[in-house]
Amino acid sequence: MRRLPVYFLLDTSGSMYGEPIQALNNALSGMVNTLRSDPQALDSLWISIVTFDREVKEVVPLTELVDFQLPEITCPQSGPTNTGAGLEYIIQKVKSDVIKSSETQKGDWKPLLFVFTDGKPSDIQLYRQKTPEIKALNFGAVVGCAAGHMANDDILKELTDDVVHLDSADSQTLKSFFKWVSETIEQGNKSQGTGESIGLPPPPSEITVVT
Amino acid sequence: MEQTKKYIEKFLLQNNIPITSNKETLFNDFASNEDMISTVKIIQENQKKMLDKWRLKNRIDDILQQVIMLPNATVNKVYEAKIEFIKLNWNDVIFSEFEGLEEIGLQYDNNEDLIFGTPTASGDIKVKFLFRVDGEKEDSVLNEKTITLIINPDPKSLWKNKESDITDPHWKEDDVAVSGSFLDKKIVVASKRGRSHANVGSFRDDDFAYKNYEKNGWSVVAVSDGAGSATLSRKGAQLACELVVSYFEENFLSDKLEDFDEVIAAHYQESTAETTKKISHFVYKQLSAAAYHVHKELEKLATQTETVLKDYHATLIFALVKKYDFGYTVLTFGVGDCPIGLLSKDMSEINLMNWLDVGEFGGGTRFITMKDIFQNEKFTTRFGFKLVEDFSYLMLMTDGIYDPKFVVEANLEKIEKWKEFVDDLKGNNEDKLSVDFETSEEGIEEQLSEWMDFWNPGNHDDRTLAIIY
Repeated sequence: MRRLPVYFLLDTSGSMYGEPIQALNNALSGMVNTLRSDPQALDSLWISIVTFDREVKEVVPLTELVDFQLPEITCPQSGPTNTGAGLEYIIQKVKSDVIKSSETQKGDWKPLLFVFTDGKPSDIQLYRQKTPEIKALNFGAVVGCAAGHMANDDILKELTDDVVHLDSADSQTLKSFFKWVSETIEQGNKSQGTGESIGLPPPPSEITVVT
Repeated sequence: MEQTKKYIEKFLLQNNIPITSNKETLFNDFASNEDMISTVKIIQENQKKMLDKWRLKNRIDDILQQVIMLPNATVNKVYEAKIEFIKLNWNDVIFSEFEGLEEIGLQYDNNEDLIFGTPTASGDIKVKFLFRVDGEKEDSVLNEKTITLIINPDPKSLWKNKESDITDPHWKEDDVAVSGSFLDKKIVVASKRGRSHANVGSFRDDDFAYKNYEKNGWSVVAVSDGAGSATLSRKGAQLACELVVSYFEENFLSDKLEDFDEVIAAHYQESTAETTKKISHFVYKQLSAAAYHVHKELEKLATQTETVLKDYHATLIFALVKKYDFGYTVLTFGVGDCPIGLLSKDMSEINLMNWLDVGEFGGGTRFITMKDIFQNEKFTTRFGFKLVEDFSYLMLMTDGIYDPKFVVEANLEKIEKWKEFVDDLKGNNEDKLSVDFETSEEGIEEQLSEWMDFWNPGNHDDRTLAIIY
């Protein structure tokens, strides 16, 4: 069976402490429940959650949706936003997790990556070093999400053309963002030309597409 | 006695009353008093009782706080989960049972520490784990811990069957099945909308067409799979097949073919480098012109309708077949991930007529709508030729059939896999549905169409299968 591997790289730096991280947890849980009611997702979706603050943490390794259990995501009260280190970790995981097609093996669908941040990288040098490597990995889609006024859209744009902006990281906004994420995931397992990326569904009003 | 003394001495000291040397005799008498001895004993017993009670309460609280997750279950799928008492460090749990399992089709085996059964309801189910730890009274009320069990719905039950929009200008029937003759053989074809499309009310992207050309003795069959990601691919697939048929209708005329018939006859007598070369030449020239014609026509349509060519992305395979006195000539072309298989009369050999365009990742393939396929150096290898005295089956299929039934490319070259596939068609399958190639002529298309509803997890694409037999 073909897997659709989906990676979430989530900012858990100090600024997420308190209400935002609570909202993020709720929104993720809502998204997983939505996906569970999608027969296509139940048959093919694999999810991994990686967080970054001062440290990078693999909260859930790539796990089939059917077996997926969402743990509570926590964050420190303060500390840097090591987005670059997060990307570095994702690159390494994608290289080892994702199965490519061969004569004798069924390959995965192109993996998807969602990067969620409410700030800007503290390790900008490493971040810029890793962005071309992410691009070279042939993701079906890389979606950058900048939440709140501290988030830097332009820096995310260096990583991917698909950047969306959320005005705040409140519960309602995150919920609707992750609903849109689940719709995007549902686009991930369709046949396409070699080298072409998937089209993103139209976003809800809370989300601004950064052009 | 000595212990009582020590106890009282310590107690007095805690109250800042040290025993000075001049009070020692007095203290000794005090501590040896029967009354004091029994008082200390009672105090110590009570303290121990208090300690035990606290330990017990604390232990129960630890268990209540402990996060435990049961492995997820799925409706209609046999479930079994062992409660690992030792790993959880629950050696002191002397009795346990669950409440709320029966309602969801599960049971708990107290001796084996096993939750088992087949879940009947989905959701984040809260079940009660009732337990007693060592030290609690036998008739004490059981402690209650809530454990969440995630039960996935049965994916089969979630698929919806939404009608496609009949008013859409490019609407086409969700399911079609036809049968008829193909040269002196028979043909049956079925094409079905996949569950993934039915679930959202979208259209069938697959298509097919076939035709017997009376005037030149050739017959053609074409199969195409529109790309799931392209908006008008169903139209692209339909046109691709129709264009192949009409192209050969108009351009495959007998004056061109007489020479070829002679070459084939010579090739049958003795296959030489020259006959082989002439055949390759002919196949390349005629079939590439047809493929390019399809590409150009789709391009024209895109321009005329102010759409883009990539909206019509579709794979394309086709086979031209002619019957001679000495056998059948099969000419093929293919772009995309749909195979053409020619099975020998005695089923001992499979000729895979084309190679598949499969990328590193699932779903990545090539289409007749891509200009670069014609310029690519591998273009010349997209053609196939075979001259056989007879054959049992010639099959063309989309990935909706190939993915679940053959899984990987390597299997397409294995005769045993094709034998399994034919057995499957003949009824060796879970649903006991069969296609009767021997006797039933009437209704064979319905048989194939029904067979094609087979269930295979993760494979819910459109399915098209054309069989010449």
